[in-house]
Formats: sequence, C-alpha cells, structure tokens
Amino acid sequence: MDFINENLLTILILLPVFGAVGVILHQMFWKQESQLKWLTFGLTLVNFLISLLLISGTKTAGTGFSFEKNVPWISAINTNYHVGVDGLSLWLVILTTFIMPIAVISTWHAVEKRPTAFYAFLLLLESAMIGVFVSLDLLVFYLFFEASLVPMFFLIGIWGGENRIYAAVKFFIFTALGSLLMLAAIIALYYVHASQTGLGTFDFVALTRSIELGHLAFTGPLAVTGTLMFWAFALAFSIKVPLFPFHTWLPDAHTEAPTAGSVILAAVLLKMGTYGLMRFNFTLFPDQSREWAWLFITLAIIGIIYGALVAMVQPDVKRLVAYSSVAHMGFVILGMFSFTEMGMQGALYQMLNHGVSTGALFLLVGFIYERRHTRQISDFGGLANVMPIYATVFVITSMSSVGLPFLNGFVGEFLIMIGMWKSTILQVTASANWNYIATMLAGTGVIFAAVYLLWMIQRVFFGKVTNEKNRSLKDLSWREIGLIAPLLFLMVFMGVYPRPFLDAAKESVNAIQKRVMHQAGGEVDHAAAVDNKTTEPRSHE
Amino acid sequence: MVENNLLSLIIFAPLVGAVVNWIVGGRLKNETFSGLVACGAIAVSTIVAFMIAFGIGTPHTGALFADKPVLDQIWTWVNVGTFRADFALGMDRLSAIYACFVTFVGLLIHIFATGYMHGDKGFYRFFAYLNLFMFAMLTLVLADNYLLMFVGWEGVGLCSYLLIGYYIKRDEARTAAKKAFVMNRIGDWGVLMGMFLIFTLTGSLSFFDKNVDGVEVQSVFSYVIAHMSADPFTWGAIVAGGLTSVGVLLFIGATGKSAQIPLLTWLPDAMAGPTPVSALIHAATMVTAGVYLVVRSNAIYQFAPTAMWIIAVIGAATALFAATIAIAQNDIKKVLAYSTVSQLGFMFLAAGVGAFVVAIFHVMTHAFFKALLFLGSGSVIHGMHHEQDMRKMGNLRKYMPITFITMATGWLAICGIPIFAGFFSKDEILYKTFAADNYFPQRPFPGEEFLWVIATFTAILTAVYMTRMMIMTFWGKERFHDALPGEEHHEEHHDEHADANTADDDDEEHHHALPHDFKPHESPWAMTVPLIVLAVLSTIGGLVGVPYAMSSLFGAGDVNVFEHTLEPVIAEKDEHAGHESSASEKKEVKHFFGSETKTTAAEPAASEAHSPEVIAKERGLAALSTVLAVIGIAIGFALFYKTPLRKMPKILEEKWRLDEFYNGYIVDPITKLSTTGLWKGFDLGFIDGIVNGIGAAVAAFGNAVRHMQVGFVRSYAAVILLGALAVIGYFIYYGLKLIG
Repeated sequence: MDFINENLLTILILLPVFGAVGVILHQMFWKQESQLKWLTFGLTLVNFLISLLLISGTKTAGTGFSFEKNVPWISAINTNYHVGVDGLSLWLVILTTFIMPIAVISTWHAVEKRPTAFYAFLLLLESAMIGVFVSLDLLVFYLFFEASLVPMFFLIGIWGGENRIYAAVKFFIFTALGSLLMLAAIIALYYVHASQTGLGTFDFVALTRSIELGHLAFTGPLAVTGTLMFWAFALAFSIKVPLFPFHTWLPDAHTEAPTAGSVILAAVLLKMGTYGLMRFNFTLFPDQSREWAWLFITLAIIGIIYGALVAMVQPDVKRLVAYSSVAHMGFVILGMFSFTEMGMQGALYQMLNHGVSTGALFLLVGFIYERRHTRQISDFGGLANVMPIYATVFVITSMSSVGLPFLNGFVGEFLIMIGMWKSTILQVTASANWNYIATMLAGTGVIFAAVYLLWMIQRVFFGKVTNEKNRSLKDLSWREIGLIAPLLFLMVFMGVYPRPFLDAAKESVNAIQKRVMHQAGGEVDHAAAVDNKTTEPRSHE
Repeated sequence: MVENNLLSLIIFAPLVGAVVNWIVGGRLKNETFSGLVACGAIAVSTIVAFMIAFGIGTPHTGALFADKPVLDQIWTWVNVGTFRADFALGMDRLSAIYACFVTFVGLLIHIFATGYMHGDKGFYRFFAYLNLFMFAMLTLVLADNYLLMFVGWEGVGLCSYLLIGYYIKRDEARTAAKKAFVMNRIGDWGVLMGMFLIFTLTGSLSFFDKNVDGVEVQSVFSYVIAHMSADPFTWGAIVAGGLTSVGVLLFIGATGKSAQIPLLTWLPDAMAGPTPVSALIHAATMVTAGVYLVVRSNAIYQFAPTAMWIIAVIGAATALFAATIAIAQNDIKKVLAYSTVSQLGFMFLAAGVGAFVVAIFHVMTHAFFKALLFLGSGSVIHGMHHEQDMRKMGNLRKYMPITFITMATGWLAICGIPIFAGFFSKDEILYKTFAADNYFPQRPFPGEEFLWVIATFTAILTAVYMTRMMIMTFWGKERFHDALPGEEHHEEHHDEHADANTADDDDEEHHHALPHDFKPHESPWAMTVPLIVLAVLSTIGGLVGVPYAMSSLFGAGDVNVFEHTLEPVIAEKDEHAGHESSASEKKEVKHFFGSETKTTAAEPAASEAHSPEVIAKERGLAALSTVLAVIGIAIGFALFYKTPLRKMPKILEEKWRLDEFYNGYIVDPITKLSTTGLWKGFDLGFIDGIVNGIGAAVAAFGNAVRHMQVGFVRSYAAVILLGALAVIGYFIYYGLKLIG
C-alpha cells in the first residue's frame, strides 16, 4: 500500500502505457479482437479506481502539492520527472480517469477497423492526459502536452468520419503551432531564470519560489520578454481551449472524431488549455495576466455569444454541440480572468461540469449516429415517440448544459458570473463599471444556450415521426443506459451538493488568485520594483 | 429563530410523488395509482402548509400570525469566498399566504385533472410533471434566499416547458413550449443580474435574518433598511447601479415569468398545454411568481421610485393591451389567457403604486376565479370532445348546468360585481391607483389619474370580453355542427391528423369531427367538485380583505384581515414620518426584516383610509366601478347576445401582430446574421480561409521550390516547424545574450 501511495501518480500514468503494450501483445498472441475492449475497459476502470485514492490523500489545506515525486531525468539541463497534485489538478485527473472507461465502452460496436491500434491509442491518450495535469516540470509537461496530440490525431484521422483527414490535419496544425511557441517560451524561461539566479530550471515549484522571493521578475528590460513568453504560453493554451478566434479546428475535429474521441476531446483535452492558463500563465506571469485580462475577457465574451449564435444555426447535431463547447469554454475563461475567488473556483467547477455535460451530449449524439449514420437535424423529428428513454436523458443532459439550477452547469456559471460581476480587473477608472457590462453580456449566453439546445430538441425529438427510417429505432440498450447513468448522477449530484468539489479545490485556487492579485499588486509594488531597479541595478552575473 | 423541519415536507412530498409516478407509475400505467399518488402528495403538502401557516398542532405560532418566519435549514448549498447560499426554507406571512393558496388550488386542480386526463396514455407522465411543478413552485415561494428562489423560478419554467409541450406530436405545442422557455430565460437573465447586484450592494442574498451553524446571516432587506437610502426619482437612477437598477433588473425577470410587456406573447401560446396545466401554471400560480418577487423585494422597491413607476406603467399598459386582444379571440382558452395577462397587469399596477398588499390580495382572488374559469373551460372542452372554438359552441348551459353556474360566479367575480371575490381586490387596485400619491414612496406619483383611467377602462373591457365569452359559450343557439369560414380546409387538416394519429398509435387529446348526433355532456364529479369549491371561494373568498370603507357601511368595523396580516411584510420607511396626518402618532413598528425596531410612522394608509373624506372618496369610487362593471356586462349583452359571431377588428384578432413583429425584426435577423454572417462568413470564410490559404500557399511554395510533389500536410508542417525553430532560435540567442 505504501508503494502504491508513494508512486500513485506514476502508476496512474504508466498503467495505461503498459496497458497499451498489453493490448498489442494480446492481439499478437491470442488474436481475440473481441476481448480487446474488455481488456481496455478493465484497465481504465482499474485506473479510475486507483485514482480515487487521490481524493483522501490530497491535502486540501495549505497550498503545496501532494503525492509529489521528484527524480532527476536529464541532469545536464536540470530537468526532473517531477509530478504532484493539488486541489486544482485533483478533480481534472479524476475527471480523466472517470471519463475513460465510459469512452471505451461508448465504441462497443463502432470500431471495425484496426481495433488493436484504436484501444492502444486510447490508453496512450489517457496516460498523456494524466501526465499533463500532474507534471510539475515544464519540459515534462510539454512532452505530455504534445504526446496527447498524437493519439488524438490518429483517432480522428483513422477512425473519423468522411472528412477526417482535413479535420485531423487542422487539429494538429492549430495545436502544434501553439505548443511549439510554448516550447520556445519554456526554453527562454530556463535561460532567463539562469540569468537572474544563476541556475536554469524547468521546475515549476522552483520557478514559483523564485518569483515569490523576487529573484525572477519580468520588469524593466525583461518586461518585453515576459510579455512575449506570457503570450507564447497563452497562445498554446488558448488554441487548446479553444478561445475565439482560434476555435475553428474544434467543430471539424469534433464532428469527424469517433464518439470516444469526441467525448475525450470535449471532456478532457479542452481542459488542458484552461488548466495550463490557470497553472502556468497565472503563476509564472501574474503581471502580464492582469495586464492582458481585458483581452481574454473580451474574447471570452465574444466566444460565448458567437459560439451560441453559430450553434443555433448548425444543421448537424454534433457541430451544434461543438459550437456550444466554444461558448461554454468562454465562460471558463471569463471566470478565470475575473481573478476573484468565486470566479476562479467557478471556472474550475465549470471545467468539470463541461466535461460531464458535454461529454454526455457527445455520447448521446454517438448513440443516435450508430443507429442512423446521420447527424443532420433534418433527418430526425419525433424521436421522443420511438425512443422515450433516449429523449428523456437527452433533455436532462441539455438542461444541465443550459445551466438549469440543481443541475451542475448552474453552479459553475453562477459562480463565474458573480465572480466577474465583483471583479476589479477591468476597473480602469472608478466610474466605469466594465465588470457589470461584461457580466451582462456574458449572461446573454445563458439565454442563447436555451435557444439553440431547445430548438434542436424541438426539431429532433418532438412532433410526429416524419422520417420512416426513424420509426423502427430501438431505444437505449442496457449498456447505453449504464454508460450514461453515472454522468446523469453526477449532473444532479454536482448541482445539488457542489461543496466536496469546491472545498477540495479551494485553497489551491485561492493561492493562485492571491498570487495574481497581490504580487506586484497594482501601482505601489510596481513602482517599488522600478525604483529598486534604478537604485541598485541587479547584476546579471 | 423559529424552526420547523416539517417545512421541507411541503416541498419534498410533491417531489417524491413525481419520482414515484415516473418510476413506478410508468410501469404500472394504472390511472388510479398515478392519480392517488399525485393527489396524495399534494394533499400532504396542503395539510402541512396549513398546519404551519395557522399554527395547528405546531409548537410555535402559525406563520401567518407570527412576527418571525418559520425557518428550516436543510443544507448549505454553495459557500465560496464571501458568497453563501443555503438550501433553506422560510415561511413568513407572505409565503404562508402563497403556500396555502398554491397547495390548495393545486390540490383541486390535481383532482380535476384525474377526470380531465382520463384515458390519456401519458397519464402517469402528466402527473409526474404536475407534481414536479408543485415542488418547484413551492420551492420558489418558501425559499429563504434569492438563489434558492431562483431554483424554483427556473424549475417552474422547466415544468411549464414540459407541460406546454405535453402533447409532443402537435407542432404548436412544441413551438409554444420552446417559446415559453426562451422568453422566461430572457427574464431570468434580469433576475440573475439583479441577484449579482443585490449581492454586491448588500453582501447577502438571504430573505431573513438568521443564524446558521453559528454564522450570523443578515438579510438583504434589513441591510437595505439599515444602511441605504432612497434613490432619486430620475431616469438616471436606472443605470446608476443602485437599488433602482436592482428593481428594474428583477422586474425584467417578472415580465418574463408573469407575461408582461414586452415578454407577454408566450403565455397565450402556452394554452397548447392540457387545460389543467393552463389553470394551475398559467393562471393561478406560476405566472404570479413575478408579483411575488416584486412584493418580496418591496424593501428594495420602496427605495427605488423609478423602478416602481415603471412597474405601474408597464402593468397598466399590459392590462389594457391584453384586454383589447381578449375581446377578439375565438378560442375559449385564448380569451382566458389574455385575460390572465391583463389581470397580472393589474397586480403589477398595484405593486407599482405601492399597494403591495393589494397586489397579493388580487393574486389570491385571481387564483380562485381564474382557476375556476380555466377549469370551467376545461369542463366545456371536455364536454365538447376537445373543441375549443367558441364559434362552435352555444347554449351549453342546457347541457352543462353545473359548469355554467360555477363559471358564472367566476365571470361575475372577474367583472367586479360586489360580494364576489374579484370585486374587493380589483376595486382596491383602482382606488389605490387613483390615490397613488398616498402609497407611493416618493410622492407625488406622476400620472396617477392617467393610470386610473386606463385601469378603469380596462375594467370595463374586462366585463365586455368576459360577457362575450359567456354568451358565445353558454347562451344563444347551438352551433356544434355549423361550418366556419375556411372550415373546409380545416376539416381536411383534421382528417390528416386523424390518419396520422391512427398510424402513430396516438395517445393525445385531439379533435374529432363531431358526429351528427353529438350532444355535449356534463363532466364527472372529479371535475365538477373542484369547480364547486372554487366557485364558493370566488364568491366569498374576497371577504377576508374587505376594506374599511366598505365594512364600515355595515357597521362591521375594520375587518380587513388580509391587509393586517401582510402589513408587517411591507417594509416601513422613514419618509412616511413626515406625513401630516400621522406625524403625531409615532410608534414602534416591528417588521421581519430586522431584529431591531425602527421608529417609524404608523401606517399612513390605515390612518388616512379612516378619515371621513377619504372613506367617502373610496366608497364613491367603489360605487362607480360597480356601475361600470354592470355597464360593461350590459355592453357585452347588447353587442353579442343577438350576434355572438360578430366580426371583430382584424388587428385585434391578430393580436396587434406582435409575434410577427418579434419574428420579423428580432428572430429572423439574428438567425440570418448567425448563418450567413458569423458561421458561413466569418468562421468558414474568414478564419478557415486564412488557414486554408496559408496551407495552399505553402503547398504551392513547396512545389515551386522543390519541383516535386509535396503532400499538403508535410509541407504545411515543415513550414510551421521552421517558423517555430526560428522563434526558438531567437529565444535561445536572446537567452544566451542575457547570460553572456
């Protein structure tokens, strides 16, 4: 047990890798394709159960990391395999391990070609995603961040729909472009730290400490470098989120991806962007984060409204859900950049909510696609008559996405909006309440969400059965009900009793918030820093 | 702090009923079982609500008489930073009145529905939704803070959506359901923003001062009274971010839920739902939630004169607007729907001029007589085999005597004939509008005479259109088999319906072409008994709120129980202290909103109302409105008795073309902008154009330079790699320079 506890995160990362190898070996020796899904399902389920150990073991008081593991990797460049969880990453890791078994079973019958590779990629993807959330070394983080790209590229490119190559390439180019810039910034950070303190490092904890102690500050001649590095990180994460106007890869990727891919993409992959902003941008570049908050808030609001309006007119259900993701992730960005306790906790909560609700929506779209091999809204109509259980589940999930109180979406959106409302980040002058205006505009997204989802539901489920092909559709099977049931349970539970989630994340999120708002907080400290610079210039040797 | 854990039983009993009906009822498909579960759940709520409200068998005084609310803390829902919202219930005098009439009228409507929905395939589903609605509605009125109230607020919206769309195969039902939800959502936006602003201004969202787990929670209202002062009566106050802004934002929510201008068009369409739903949700309970919100927040509104003035004006305008439409409708439920909108306008008018108690009084009497009228129309529709067009009715009093008599009491009540419930409440509204200066927090009230004229004219119109409805339905000759203009097309449509229905194994209420030997029939007891009970309430229910001016006529003294019950709920303001007639008799007025007592004037309205000239004025106005009601009925008979099918102005029949306006100028442009502008133009055209353009350029470049086939992907990736390497190189160079 001690061994497990000490190496818990490593086990979580490596188990899927070994699993992937196992899947391949299993296929090589036994050639039982039908057993692969069971094997994969079992592995992901075990990984999920192991990850639950994190909940009790993660310290929620204080701000440090739990389950830390720090072993030298390449000592020449001072990079370490350094992993750990805190309240911020805890739930994201569990969200990942939780969604994986569901994603695996969601493609029970749909994988016809190369199942071995399919399941191996899924497992590698899980490993990479967990790695992203727990790495505390920037270089290791970068490797996991990139590594998650590859399996998803192939999942879309091989098992996707008709237009899969275009979608996969677009997905790859957009995200790779961003993350290469991030790599540049990571390397630059190494050098800048070396120049300031004499020791180059990729270690996130060490960098944070240097910033806290004032050894590393992006002021004076380094201000431009700081801004450039901030943007290199921010761009990589914004594309991943995706923030308007970098969102156009998302509808294509979602639409073409197989159901499992869409579910994972929506539930976890997008969160890597918001997580990265919160973890790295806010902590490493607090000044720049504050300085550019207005731009992110503006883009987030545009995304909320734009995503909703475009979702409204989509003829394809999956594209509609994809665009709704753009709107929802806009809310997350909005909450984060409000730099208030409520907004940031709401943002974290909304990440989880979006994972659950949108994941469930993609799952549901997948169910109907398996039956009819179409996702065009116009091909459906009156489905509630033939598939009452499906219709009920779909309506509940949509309501959760719309943000109906007592379902999960509401708590997150409410906290985000009240956080933005109380935010001081946009206060340029005392008289203009831009924060009110921002919240009011973002709030219209709540109205539009109802419009696009209900309009789709109206056309797909209500009315008479207009298409003869839909008349004989089977309602959900027990497997499908079993798949969606845990998600439905979470929607209600997280809506009614959010405290365990919020309380666990509280300290870590607050620490980030305080760091952003207090460090060099406003004019006073800034002036002091400048002053410091002029009186006794820091020697770079 | 008075606690009673039974409070939660009021809301959870219907929730349990809904779940049982959904899970067990769905398997059994037994009407008796579903009906019993649903009605039983509401009966439990009703009994507990009355017990706590009147203090029967409880260790504390009834909530209706107590100074402090009865509270029930269930759990802390959200607690982040300084923000907290409890899942906690509270019953004070205002919510006690609401809880009692909601449960009681709800119970009657549930019983009615067991008869009305008989034979419907989705019987269990219907009652599950109906119980779920009761859960949401009771959460709304019993919530002890704005956020939980908002849960109920959205919850009733959801149930309304589900129930309007209950006949899922009908196009008009699904469209109406969506429209209702969306319009409500627009209003909800206002409530959300209002809540944010309240929290920013007061640091609380709680309705009551309380102590939870050792944490003192101050209510919004006691904070407002203790620390804030009235906003100026100016337009600028609306956007100043103070209490007036709160008032306006909350009222936006109220216009959505209570179907006021400009968000009123969903309510008439909502009549596509089953008739008991129209009675319960779209007449008696849910649509009055907006009035509840305004009255609950009266401490805020009293400091926000501009917001109150807007409420009064919108209320009066809506009352008139809807009444003019009601007069030209041929669908019996549409008439009642517009009548509901109009009556809700009256309630807001009352709240807007500062007569909060009267607004609630009208909510209650309206719940009685409008539920009665709707259920009566349901009985008529049931007896007519689901024909709703009054042009195909006539002389029904011969076939449906109980329905006729009960509906007639509702008709007299809404017209405002003395003794009937509607008379007292409506007359009070008219009087208090006329004397608005005395009630409005920041006098004078501009335009009170004008509003009074509108309200009085609307009252006459009300009598006219209700009389028209009664005549078309119950008097005249039988028109069951008459063809209407344009009927042939109509019939064909019906035939299609019938074909499709049989093919679909239909389970919904639908029109049959009436057989030639068709005779309407009286409804079963499950439907007539609730009608009779409501008829009795519509007749005598107003007697709890007889104003002094009238009771003194009969030497009865001050018997306005209703007003005295609610007086403590209405926050007192210091401004009254300066008023002449009451300046001498300052006294300590205790109110709910603070444990502290404030020195304020005695209720000026009460003292003024008892001075002889005021009483004379009120009596005179009451006499006038009685006469006007009679005139209205007389006009109705004169116009429609001989010619019940009199052609009405087309613009009224078409509802002033408001829907067309909204569709043409708001919905369509947004859709068009989204499709061609944003999606196809910006997303696919601009952004993807750039991306693809770069890709193509790179490919072309690669081809030209290397004279060989280079894959699109590879060259694209190669250039990006080069670019990134260049950036990395720059950083390395820069870094080295820093160190070096």
